[in-house]
Formats: sequence, structure tokens, C-alpha cells
Amino acid sequence: MEESGITCAAIISSTQKIERETAKFYEHLAERYTDDKADFLSFSKESKKNEVLITRTYQETISDALEACFIEGLNLNNIVLARTLSRDVDFATALRMAIRLEDEATKFYSEIAERTRSLLATIPMVFKKVAKNRKNRKLKLESILRSLN
Amino acid sequence: MILEEPIMDVLTLKNYIGDEWVESKGEVVDVVNPATCKTIATVPISTNEEIKAAVEAANEAFPDWRRTPPLARVRCLFRLKELMEQHFEEVSRIQTMEHGKTIDESRGETRRGIENVEVATGIPSLMMGYNLEDIASGIDEYVVRQPLGVFGIIGPFNFPFMVPLWFAPYAVATGNCVIVKPSSEDPISQIKIAELAEEAGIPPGVWNVVNGGRTVVSGMLDHNDIKGICFVGSTPVGRDVIYKRCGETTKRVIAQTGAKNFLLIMPDAKLERTIAACMTSFYGNSGQRCLSAANLVVVGEGQSERQFNTFYEKVVDKFVGAASKIRVGYGLDESVQMGPLRDRRKKERVIGFVEKGVQEGAKLRLDGRNVKIIGDWPHDCFLNPTVFEEVTPDMTIGSEEIFGPVASVMRAKDLDEAIEMIHSNPFGNAASIFTSNGKWAREFQYRVECGNIGVNIGIAAPMAFFPFSGMKDSFYGSLHGQGREVVRFFTESKVVIQRWF
Repeated sequence: MEESGITCAAIISSTQKIERETAKFYEHLAERYTDDKADFLSFSKESKKNEVLITRTYQETISDALEACFIEGLNLNNIVLARTLSRDVDFATALRMAIRLEDEATKFYSEIAERTRSLLATIPMVFKKVAKNRKNRKLKLESILRSLN
Repeated sequence: MILEEPIMDVLTLKNYIGDEWVESKGEVVDVVNPATCKTIATVPISTNEEIKAAVEAANEAFPDWRRTPPLARVRCLFRLKELMEQHFEEVSRIQTMEHGKTIDESRGETRRGIENVEVATGIPSLMMGYNLEDIASGIDEYVVRQPLGVFGIIGPFNFPFMVPLWFAPYAVATGNCVIVKPSSEDPISQIKIAELAEEAGIPPGVWNVVNGGRTVVSGMLDHNDIKGICFVGSTPVGRDVIYKRCGETTKRVIAQTGAKNFLLIMPDAKLERTIAACMTSFYGNSGQRCLSAANLVVVGEGQSERQFNTFYEKVVDKFVGAASKIRVGYGLDESVQMGPLRDRRKKERVIGFVEKGVQEGAKLRLDGRNVKIIGDWPHDCFLNPTVFEEVTPDMTIGSEEIFGPVASVMRAKDLDEAIEMIHSNPFGNAASIFTSNGKWAREFQYRVECGNIGVNIGIAAPMAFFPFSGMKDSFYGSLHGQGREVVRFFTESKVVIQRWF
């Protein structure tokens, strides 16, 4: 059967998973690299808040009259989740992994914001906000990486 | 991924009368999940004595409840709203299990229901009367709105959670008491709401639920202590039973009934967005809603015959293309875009219409009877989207309410002809136009005799603070559900003229 669009429910589940995995990823970083523990824990906390924010926005705006089952142009198979850190990864490599994760997450959320523009304003707004959070994290991570050199 | 089902064991549903969960003496029927065909609950078909007991309990609660300050009354509703938010996911999944709709649709229904509770919490302002000093020398006049007593609310199967909430929160907030009779096909949502109402501290007898069928409805209609009835269901029952009997027994009545909604696509419509809106409108809730579009009218206003033919083909190809890709399956699978019909009988009824369409000469462009679904579920209640072309407004499929995932495509040479088509149909629930032309849109909303008009909107569903309208054979009564109108419905205006010597 040829595929058509995806549902809001599927998008929300994916974003919940992304934020949960990301929160865990930064908790691991915080445990392993204690010099920057505060930053990593704040990223983890922010991801948990992002999950709550997205879920709440969805539940408060979903309506039977919205075209919620027919969001076109998104492929949820392409989302990249945070990976578990192997034991031998050095700090710089871990930071580069985190930067790539944030970069991909920023693109993903920006894309969802664009695709959901036709729904209520609060929906793209929350995805733009999360995209901005993730972009800021990337900048912070890049600055930590620069400080290593 | 299939979401976890909140109902694991077969529930035994009871009536909620006064502050008691009461077993019924009536026969018991199964509530079946239409996607899995598994029984998820048993529901009683209550007796006449049981509806009488509920009226008695409600009547007994009324004097104290009406004396309770409006602010105190709505505090109960604030708590109810909060509890509904806490149970948002659970009640949404219950709707999918008992009705079949997709999880996005169920969550949307939950939200719409909660919005009515939210609006009803504004009763201290919404219920206010008005006054004028010195209407004559030293004489002032004012009007107060007073509650009436006990109201009956008869819910339909297609929105088991939301529809009774178009009425109940407003009735209760204005100081009345209610008896809700859910559809016996999917009554679990209303039982869950009653549990939350009990937990929210709504006093005994103010919010009652009596399960059942005709006996309960007749019991409500015949009872002198029931002051009004809110009904959502079919036109024959709404008109010939509810409206008629309420007239005979001098009850107030809101009877929101059947529909056959037209959706017009003008040559300047933004097609991509229009087709997405059409999919939701025609196939959302598997076509089982009174605001669903049923007839798609492609309009050739201002076009030559050749241009019109090209435009028509383009619209229909895109529509059929999109409809053929809709993923059908169990609504708790988040990838699914359309669930099953509510039960086998409803599926058979829709198939009957499809057969009739073929017999009457319509062109079957997409045959939803060839069931293809996601997941290994029994096909008993599933249908895929169907599209007919070359339908005329006088054909059975073009004129009667199918209440299923069937689209009938028609052609109209201009807007006038399209509006005539709409007016040739006895229903007047909703109609939509898709266009970029303000003049056409204005002409449409001005002339069309339907209660709910969509301009570039596929489902013209009024928000909780607006009335859910309806005209012609789609509505019987004067005031509509939701918002300010329903506050008027649940209150009597008492005028006081006073002077002090």
C-alpha cells in the first residue's frame, strides 16, 4: 500500500522518544565528564521539559477538526536518536557526537514546525522553540569543544 | 506501534444514580471493540423504574444545588476539568477502544469535551441577567436567569465522550441536574466521566448516568419532572420521537439530527491544502460524524467547458489518489489514519449504499469494500475509503445520509448551481467552500441554508463558546448546544419590576 502523510500522534511519540533519549545521553555525559557536569545536566533537564512542553501543546490543541492524520512531507524513519557512549570514547569525540545530535535535532524540529504551519499557531511555535533550544545547545557544545584546543 | 489498551478485563457497567453505582435489573449487552471484535464491557439496558429512580434522585438534589452559589458550583467543574486533564490519555484510548476512531481523533474529541467544561466554568458571568433603573418614576426592572430542574441528555455513538459535554456542564453550572443516557454501543466514556464527576465533588443526584435504550428514552420523554431533553442522533428519531414528544409534554428540546454535507471546490482553491482538508472531512471518524462532507462538488465557475473538464479531472485524480493511500487499521496504532466502522451492522449499511450507488449508475472510482488494513485484525467492521463519480443530488448516495467513508463527486457549472444542489437536499447541517475568492466565499456563507459554514475549512465544528448550529432536517428546536445559547436553554428568564414606597 502506498504511504500518505503521517499522523500527529506518530510525530509526538517520535519527539517524546527523541527528548527522552537525549536526556539520558546528557546524564551519561554528566556522569563521565564531571568538569562540564552542570551544563550536561541542564541539557538533560531541558530535554525533559521539552517533552512535557510538546506533549502539553499537543494535548491542548489537538482537535477533531484539524487535519491531524495527514501531515505531509515528513519521514520519521530519518530521525536520529542519541547513541549510547562506548567506554573508550574520549571527551572531544563525545562532544562531536553531541554537536551532531543537536544539529540533526534542530533540523528535524524546524522541519516539523514548517510542516505543521497549517495547524494551530501553538503547534509550530512549540517546535520552533525546541529547535531554538537545541540550536543554543549546539553553540554551547561547540564553545566547550573549542576550549579543549 | 500499538498503544497500551487501558481496558484489560471486561468491565461490568452500572448506572450512577444519586451517589450510588447501581446494578440494573435490565438485560445486559456487550460493548465490542470494533477493531479487535473483543468484548470490552457489558452494559445494562435499564428499566423504566430505574430511569424513574434517577429522576427522583435528581429532583431531590435540585433545590440545594440551585441554591449553591454559581461560583461554588463551577469550582466542582474546575476540579472536573483538572481530573479530565489528568486522565486525558486514558479517556482518549477508551474512546478508540469503544468506538474505533484513531487516537488523534479521540484525543481531539477529549479536548473538545474539556473545552465545554472550561466554557461552563464562566457561568458566573454567562448566567448574569441585566437591569434598567427608572423605567417609570421610582421603578426599576431587571431580569434574572433561573435554573429549571432536571434535564435528560441522550448521547450518540459517534462521539461518546464529547457530545453529552455540549450540554451537561452548562446544565450543572446553571444549577440544574442531569441524567445522561450514553449510547449503549459505546457507553464507557460517559461512565468514566461520571466517575470523575463523583471524584470532583459534584453532589449526589446532580450528575446521573442511566444506561439503556428506548425504555430509558421513553421514560425521560414521559416524565413530568424532566424539564428538557438534549438529543443528538438520527433525523427520524430526533424529529418524530424526541421533538414531537417534547412538544406534547411541554419540554424544552434541542434535537441535533442527521446531515448530508456538501463541500465545494472552486477553480481558484489551493488544491494541496484543500485535498488534505477533504481527507479529514470525508474520512475522519470513518465518515461517522454529522459534520463530515459527503458530497464533493467541483465547480466550474468562470471556466470554459474544456477548462472545467481539465480542472475536474485534476481535482478528482488528486482526491482519489489521496483517499486510496489512507492507512486503515486499529486506532491505537499511531500510524493509522482511519479506523473501522462502529459495528458490523453499520458496515453492512454502508455497503448497501455502495451497492445502491452502482445500481443507480454512479461510477465507482475507488471501491472501499476491498478491505486492506494495517495489522492482523478481523475485517468485520473495516472498510477502506470509497469514491463515486457521476453522482447527482437525486441519487440515493447523493441525497441520503450514509454515515460512512464514502465520497460522492458531483459537477456544477457555477456557484449558483452548486448552491441549488445544496438546497435541494432536506438537510442543513454544514457546508464548506474552498476558494481564494472573497466574493464567492461571502456569497456562499450568505445564501447557503446550513447551520455551520466552512470557508476553506473541511469540518466546520463550532468551538465550545459558539453554538453548534443546524438547520432544516438537521435540527429541531430553537436554541442550540454549547456556549451562550445553551445557557439560555438551561435557564428561564424571570423579570422583576420593583418600586419601594
